[in-house]
Amino acid sequence: MIVVNNLTKVYKLSKKQMMEQRTKKNIKRAVNELSLTAKPGEIYGLLGPNGAGKTTALRCIATLLKPTQGDIKVCEFDTVKDSEKVRKKICFLTNEIKLDPQFSPKYMFNFFGKLHGQDDKTIQERREKLFNYFGIKEFEDKKIEELSTGMKQKASIAVSLVHDPDVVIFDEPTNGLDIVTARNVTDYLKLLKKEGKTVIISTHIMSEAEKLCDKIGIIINGNKVIDGSLEDILSSTHTEDLEDAFFELYKLHNKEEA
Amino acid sequence: MSAVKNILVKELTRVFTDKKLVFSLFVMPGLLIMIMYSLMGRLATNMVNDIEKNIPKVYIQNAPEGFDELVSSMGYEAEITPLVLSHNIEDIKADIKSGDVELLVVFEEGFLDKIGAYQNLGDEIPEVKTYYNTAEDYSVAAREKFLNMVLNTYQQQLLAERLGNIEQLQVFYIDKDPQSSIIVDEEKASAKPLSMLLPLLINIMLFSGAMGLGVDAITGEKERGTLSSMLISPIKRSDIVMGKLLSLGILSSLSAVIYTIFTMIGIQRLYGGFEGDADTAMGALGNISFTPIEMIQLLVLLLIVVYLYVSLISLVAVYARTAKEANTYVMPLMIVVMLGSIMTMFSGGTEKGIEYFAIPIYNSAVSLQNLFLGELTMTQFGLTVGTTAFLAAIITVLITKAFNSEKVMFNA
Repeated sequence: MIVVNNLTKVYKLSKKQMMEQRTKKNIKRAVNELSLTAKPGEIYGLLGPNGAGKTTALRCIATLLKPTQGDIKVCEFDTVKDSEKVRKKICFLTNEIKLDPQFSPKYMFNFFGKLHGQDDKTIQERREKLFNYFGIKEFEDKKIEELSTGMKQKASIAVSLVHDPDVVIFDEPTNGLDIVTARNVTDYLKLLKKEGKTVIISTHIMSEAEKLCDKIGIIINGNKVIDGSLEDILSSTHTEDLEDAFFELYKLHNKEEA
Repeated sequence: MSAVKNILVKELTRVFTDKKLVFSLFVMPGLLIMIMYSLMGRLATNMVNDIEKNIPKVYIQNAPEGFDELVSSMGYEAEITPLVLSHNIEDIKADIKSGDVELLVVFEEGFLDKIGAYQNLGDEIPEVKTYYNTAEDYSVAAREKFLNMVLNTYQQQLLAERLGNIEQLQVFYIDKDPQSSIIVDEEKASAKPLSMLLPLLINIMLFSGAMGLGVDAITGEKERGTLSSMLISPIKRSDIVMGKLLSLGILSSLSAVIYTIFTMIGIQRLYGGFEGDADTAMGALGNISFTPIEMIQLLVLLLIVVYLYVSLISLVAVYARTAKEANTYVMPLMIVVMLGSIMTMFSGGTEKGIEYFAIPIYNSAVSLQNLFLGELTMTQFGLTVGTTAFLAAIITVLITKAFNSEKVMFNA
């Protein structure tokens, strides 16, 4: 269960960053008063263009960033006060977090298993299960730097799930993957949902959100403009599909900033 | 604690399973040091031999009667050209300047007559003037040899002729047998040159070992995005810091040991150039004998210095955004460490006040120096270890703070 309550995240910009972004304001509001609830047995999708604040929101949930305002509860634990307990319950996958390229997937799996305080037997069982599912078995002893992008991503997903987390946070999990591997990943997310896990993902791929997510939240410029099931969104925007709905909302809400 | 151990094991595995890294970190610098010292030794020997073998070109103007015979009887080897008094010596001076001629000796007009005519105080004393080039090793050596072998003997000869009994000049002797005058603790004397050099060497070895490793293990991991994978694990940030510092400490100690061994071999080769000195140099090492307490002191000093350097470098590495940036920031630190140790080399024999042992970096170098001389007191030792450990501990806290900062870790 994830409860985000009025989350605001403000970055201070350095002079160089202000120059780069051509702004005279020395702060950037990455996420503005965002509230959402993701329940167990449900996949929540954060949908938005690049730079909308999706990753920032997920990073806050994953305890890596502290909210400027508002608070976040993951499995009843506060992400600031009980960050270590939250980290026990979650897994976080994002393309900026990588596995050490000099090690094999097997070594990394065992290493993170131990960091999560698991015993050798549990780690081995989890490894058998996950490596078989993602087809990592045949390259489990190869160095990660020798693997292809798809293999790396599969290994990252398997390693992140080592401790059988209750809450799964995936930031653009299918980014850069081919159709087969992407399908593999989305199928596993459905499996996790069936097991009663809370799943939250971010994506900018409309079809993925349409097919996969039980609940969709659309973020534009740090503001959540709508959230609900696909049907809710379509009916309230009077559109036929998610892409049309998104552009309706985008036209409406991007004006304010411009 | 098990998290610290896991990270430690992973860090060490990462280094030792990478053959290229092992080679570039441990083997290559060691070999380079050894080759450098050996080469220096060979070149120095060659230079000394070369000067000894060189036969200098010497011009002697207005040589007095019988001087030629004296020169050849003293065995002064040179290509000597006599000049008459009227010869213009300006062109010879020019040749000395350009290094084609080594030495010009000019005897004053009426040299022997003036000496013969000397009677009373105030009578004229003639001069022998030498012209040579201080920038030319050959010229300096030729003059020195000429003064010692020829002119001094000639002066003694003429004095004996004038006085008959030259002992009249000798009111008393100073140290007829210089060797028997020296009272010295052999151990300390032979440890002296090494005690000057070793603190500098040890400090630089420890620091440079930690430098490459620290930047890669922290800034490198930050850049590669592998550090954040640890940050989302349910472990304390201080555990990550401790695991990193411990593994870095072990690795840089190891590299320091390897560098020191290679350096010793190199120095042996360096002194090997000067015949017989090789034994003295190595003998000096052998002469530094430690009591068990001194051994423990040495070990504790080295460990605490490693801790300080590793934490200093890690602090810089954690704040730097890229490895390139980190290396730029580490260089001034390296210079400070070198300065601290170089200062001990030229501090002379003066006793240091106790307050000097409260200056980090410098105090460890002075303590090492005193330890090799067998002069380190417990107060000095305690103060050095205390201040160094205190500083390192503060830096460790700062590193942990940086690990907790989203600004430092995620550039947010």
